Amino acid sequence: MFRNNYDNDSVTFSPQGRIFQVEYAAEAVKQGSVVVGIASKTHVALVAIKRNAEELSSYQKKLFPIDEHVGIAIAGLTSDARVLSNFMKQQCLAHRLTYGRSMPVRTLVDMIGSKAQINTQHYGKRPYGVGLLVAGVDDHGPHLFEFQPSGMTEEMVAFAIGARSQMARTYLEKNLDKFADCDREELIRHGLKALKESLVQDRELTVDNTSVGVAGADKAGVVEPFKVYDGQEVSAWIESVADDKEAAPAGGSGEGETMEVDS
Amino acid sequence: MTSIGTGYDLANSIFSPDGRNFQVEYAVKAVENGGTSIGIRCKEGVVLAVEKIITSKLLKPNANKRIATVDRHLGIVYSGMIPDGRHFVDRARDEARAWRDTFKTPIATADLASRMGGYMQAYTLYQSVRPFGITAIIGGFDPSTDLPVDGEVGRGPSCGAGGKVPGKTFGGPGLYMIEPSGLYWGYYGAATGKGRQAAKAELEKLDLAGPGGESLTLEQAVKEAARIIYVAHDDNKDKDFELEMTWISGPDGPTKGLHQEVPRALREEAERLAKKALESDDEDEDGKMEE
Amino acid sequence: MDHRPQAWGRPRDDVYGPYDASYLHNNQPKTATQSPIVTGTSVIAIKFKDGVVMAADNLASYGSLARFTDVKRLRPFLSTSVVGFGGDVSDMQFLDRHLNELAIDEAYEAEGCSAGGLGSSAQEPDASPGASKGQLNAANLHKYLTKLMYRRRNSFDPLWNQILVAGFDSASAPFLASVDLRGTAFTSPSLATGYGAMLAQPIMRKYAATEEDAAKLTRDDAVRVVRECMKVLFYRDARSLDRFSLAVVTRDGVDISEDEVLEQQSWAFAERIRGYGTQTV
Repeated sequence: MFRNNYDNDSVTFSPQGRIFQVEYAAEAVKQGSVVVGIASKTHVALVAIKRNAEELSSYQKKLFPIDEHVGIAIAGLTSDARVLSNFMKQQCLAHRLTYGRSMPVRTLVDMIGSKAQINTQHYGKRPYGVGLLVAGVDDHGPHLFEFQPSGMTEEMVAFAIGARSQMARTYLEKNLDKFADCDREELIRHGLKALKESLVQDRELTVDNTSVGVAGADKAGVVEPFKVYDGQEVSAWIESVADDKEAAPAGGSGEGETMEVDS
Repeated sequence: MTSIGTGYDLANSIFSPDGRNFQVEYAVKAVENGGTSIGIRCKEGVVLAVEKIITSKLLKPNANKRIATVDRHLGIVYSGMIPDGRHFVDRARDEARAWRDTFKTPIATADLASRMGGYMQAYTLYQSVRPFGITAIIGGFDPSTDLPVDGEVGRGPSCGAGGKVPGKTFGGPGLYMIEPSGLYWGYYGAATGKGRQAAKAELEKLDLAGPGGESLTLEQAVKEAARIIYVAHDDNKDKDFELEMTWISGPDGPTKGLHQEVPRALREEAERLAKKALESDDEDEDGKMEE
Repeated sequence: MDHRPQAWGRPRDDVYGPYDASYLHNNQPKTATQSPIVTGTSVIAIKFKDGVVMAADNLASYGSLARFTDVKRLRPFLSTSVVGFGGDVSDMQFLDRHLNELAIDEAYEAEGCSAGGLGSSAQEPDASPGASKGQLNAANLHKYLTKLMYRRRNSFDPLWNQILVAGFDSASAPFLASVDLRGTAFTSPSLATGYGAMLAQPIMRKYAATEEDAAKLTRDDAVRVVRECMKVLFYRDARSLDRFSLAVVTRDGVDISEDEVLEQQSWAFAERIRGYGTQTV
């Protein structure tokens, strides 16, 4: 794609002021399978498509709990994700042991942002090749953050990263106003519907390739700890969005054809 | 356009034959692509404002703050590469903390600007690192009377700390802008980012160095800052933006010497007036076009 | 010849002898704090229905000399909690600076957060800075101080203080706990350090023996009890002063007055003491 003198390391600016290594690292994120996150006033949900290397191999996990109140979804280099998630786990635990409270999510996300930024400014280091969606609950309610290899972290209402995630983002933008008041189930259904938008034409959500993670906090302050659901636990949700699709009035062409060929 | 580096621009810290460090100049390009940020210094205090381009509709409104507090009384806003800006702010916070540990008093604006200028400059000296892709604007209000020493247990002598030169004024507002090369100056009005030319033109019209600055109140400065951001946004018209503003007043002013976000009511009023001013400008322009 | 990287640039052992690292070894005895020098005396506190009342006198003694008489031993933290220090004053100053830095760091966190997560209106930034949710409350602060004090104790370099932390916990209930130079931590409806534990606690426990009793106490009653205890302490604690600071922590914030004076003192009891002085038995 790009081929120039300025893309060998992350300590070289191009004449236009870009750092190509960081941009290439973002490409690694786009190679991972899609993950979607949505936050409402009371809950935050992460949903993911898991890939398997071969027919008979296991599916790569995409959702990981970090602490009782925080979980992440990864897209990109899994080993880089592991490094970051181990760091996050240690920080959360140390904070809990020192202060007796759960770590505020933004502080945690700022820490990995700084960690990743250093890798974009020193020779011999390479940027982290993974994007994260960090979903957590704290005293201010549910939060969803996006983490990028450049170290950029932003709080989102909803987002999707990974392969063909633009389709999912389009769905999320269209339904943006509905999310704040969604209850837990609706939120997960929206996530799965967004996920379906990004699927390859002949693929479907199955109990093997779908992961769901949810955390919540209601007005009384009771926290639903972050939990990941896999396998049979997600079958009810998958069915609920499959039914919706079939029950929807045929506005456009037939259901199968709403999926665009992936570019 | 700048000349092509051709071989002298591949690594940081390398001088070209005409004495330039091209990597630093390329870093400046990164700044020029970022959203506009400005600072206004008037007698009563300092206002910082930034145009946050909304890159995605999915961003949570009002959640991603760009203007950072250092200690309690200093604010930093930056344009360019935001992760670099956060690194810069982290270091500034460390510097402020180290100053407080040594001198048991908060750091002054000029001293922080000096430290941060040195830090930015250090990243232009070695091939193993790259320059910061940001220009930072630091604003603060230094107290003119003595603050109690950190950890002070008693009230101290009633005559105060002493050592004051009679007739010399201490403290006051301070505004500094630091570039990727580490160069910095003190300003009455500073602007950086994509719309800096338009913003600078507006700031010059305010005549902050002269009687304009003397008469500008802090609230007026807030309104001017909003208006200038809106004017500068014209350069980025195709994207939506969110305006974030903070202010620092003296100990008698609305923020009591602290760096705080401008209250929502005042910000919304300032934005309303800014939009109105922009519309009337457009009408004038249309009028002129018709002639 | 040893060509390995670890030998690059090093003088040869067979020519100059093995490396002498004795300069790194400190053979002096450890000289960390063994005893406090300038000290503050007791701090007392009692919970009531809507918060906690705390008091400490304004004296820093240099042994038996009443050296500094305007010392503030009650410190607010983030304008939501109060910390009262008894014991060494220099360690108190160290902790005060340290907690100030902690408060500044917490404020950095708070400004980055959006306050509107649960659909409530975004918090006005000119509201009292410490009152925002999500910042360290008194229970968090107490836990942190416990870890700190215990850690110092394990290094045989204690901060020679006994500290009372007052405020609210995560359930918004009044919180009061103590931590001392050994890292021993406990909580109770009423607490006192130093002589207060012997002289003032029995009085405070008459009014707030259990959490339920404390929850019935009104603010005025609690302040009255605390003032009475400060008077008793002044009568009987030889290293105390009649000028003191009084702090009341409620959900609305912290209210510290540093110029309280004990009124209506009656020293008539002194003439009835038998055992020393001008006794005539």
